Amino acid sequence: MADTLPLRFRMLHYVSTVKKASPDEIMKALKPEYGTEKQFTKKVFADHLLDMKANHILEDNDVELDDKGELLIYYSINDEGRRLLKKYLPKGWNQT
Amino acid sequence: MSISGNQKAIMMKEKLNADFTKKGVFTGLFSGFTWGLNSVLLGLALSMIPVMGENVAIFAIPLAAACINDSFAGLWLLLYNGGAGRLKEVLRSLKTFPGQMVCVAALLGGPIANGGYLLGISLAGSAYALTITALYPIVGALLSRIFLKQQIVPRVWAGMLLSVVGAIVISYVPPEGVNSETFYLGLLFASLAALGWGAEAVLAVFGMSMIDPKVAINIRQLTSGLFLAIVILPIVGGWVVVSQVFTLPGTLGAFAIVGLAAAISYLAWYKANTTIGVAKGMALNGTYVMWGVIFSVVFLKSPLTQNLVIGSLLVVIGATLVAINPKEFFKKGEVA
Repeated sequence: MADTLPLRFRMLHYVSTVKKASPDEIMKALKPEYGTEKQFTKKVFADHLLDMKANHILEDNDVELDDKGELLIYYSINDEGRRLLKKYLPKGWNQT
Repeated sequence: MSISGNQKAIMMKEKLNADFTKKGVFTGLFSGFTWGLNSVLLGLALSMIPVMGENVAIFAIPLAAACINDSFAGLWLLLYNGGAGRLKEVLRSLKTFPGQMVCVAALLGGPIANGGYLLGISLAGSAYALTITALYPIVGALLSRIFLKQQIVPRVWAGMLLSVVGAIVISYVPPEGVNSETFYLGLLFASLAALGWGAEAVLAVFGMSMIDPKVAINIRQLTSGLFLAIVILPIVGGWVVVSQVFTLPGTLGAFAIVGLAAAISYLAWYKANTTIGVAKGMALNGTYVMWGVIFSVVFLKSPLTQNLVIGSLLVVIGATLVAINPKEFFKKGEVA
């Protein structure tokens, strides 16, 4: 098994493997790897996603309101995000 | 989902992104404020070091102080990250290329830029050296434009230029004349400092697109502190100064507080740079020159000069121009 990635890196990688994902979906998918850590909070995940969006490696074009009327953002990776992953993803990790 | 519902969701998202940007602007200003505090506190801590001869004063003391400053900041950040459960992230990040780039950024911003700054002042005089090093936000903005393809609107350029001019006016001291053959070498070192700080920000922002800024700044401070301690201090005889500081509990305590201010300031700077871009982050951090002098006037009773008033006014107008964003981030979101 490859080394555990830094959380932000792993989030970018996970988003690259799906068409789009909400913060909750990303947390659910990464729970087996990071779930026991103190940094595994919705606030931390939301901040990483907003930063990656601000750095133009994720997109947040897909939005809707959930049943409670709260904002639900689906993030997707863009070409620049894919380029970074292709270049810097450590060996042992596959980009799909 | 009805159209009106979707429109509401889009509006909520735009507000979320705008609030995030606003927070980034305040974080950038806060980094300047705390960096100004750090400069003043560092000056106080330095005055607590006993007189050790002129040769030691020029290079050994400032570089030893830089080493203690960065090392303490690194230790404070280890405590902070440890408390937040991010210690594992430090090692994970160091194993990746972006994390290693943060180490390179540390060497550029720490030993190289700080060393160049000190050598510039001693060889070319403060007037020229400080003027050149004050250009670092412009260097950072240019490098971020080239290497990170970050867009910089004319308003931000204008604001940054005003801030830099303000910083130069504040730190201006009458030149003593070009009287030595080492003068141009001094200018070269001062340019190296501006280049080093600019390059640090760009490399760090590249790294932080994939690693946590809170972890990146921890790596930066520890790398810089260690490199200064192991490589630079033995060359300039700085360990004598460090061991002297460690025998004086009051002075050591003062440096610990200085390091805390540095840790908070750098944490804010790295976070701002990644959230609002290098150009804005650096321009807002550049307000430290103004804060530093204001702290000196208020707490150390330094005289309030005409240069300070005019310079500070320019910095404030410049920083406001940089910070206030008439919906440009909304446009960015739509284009992307």
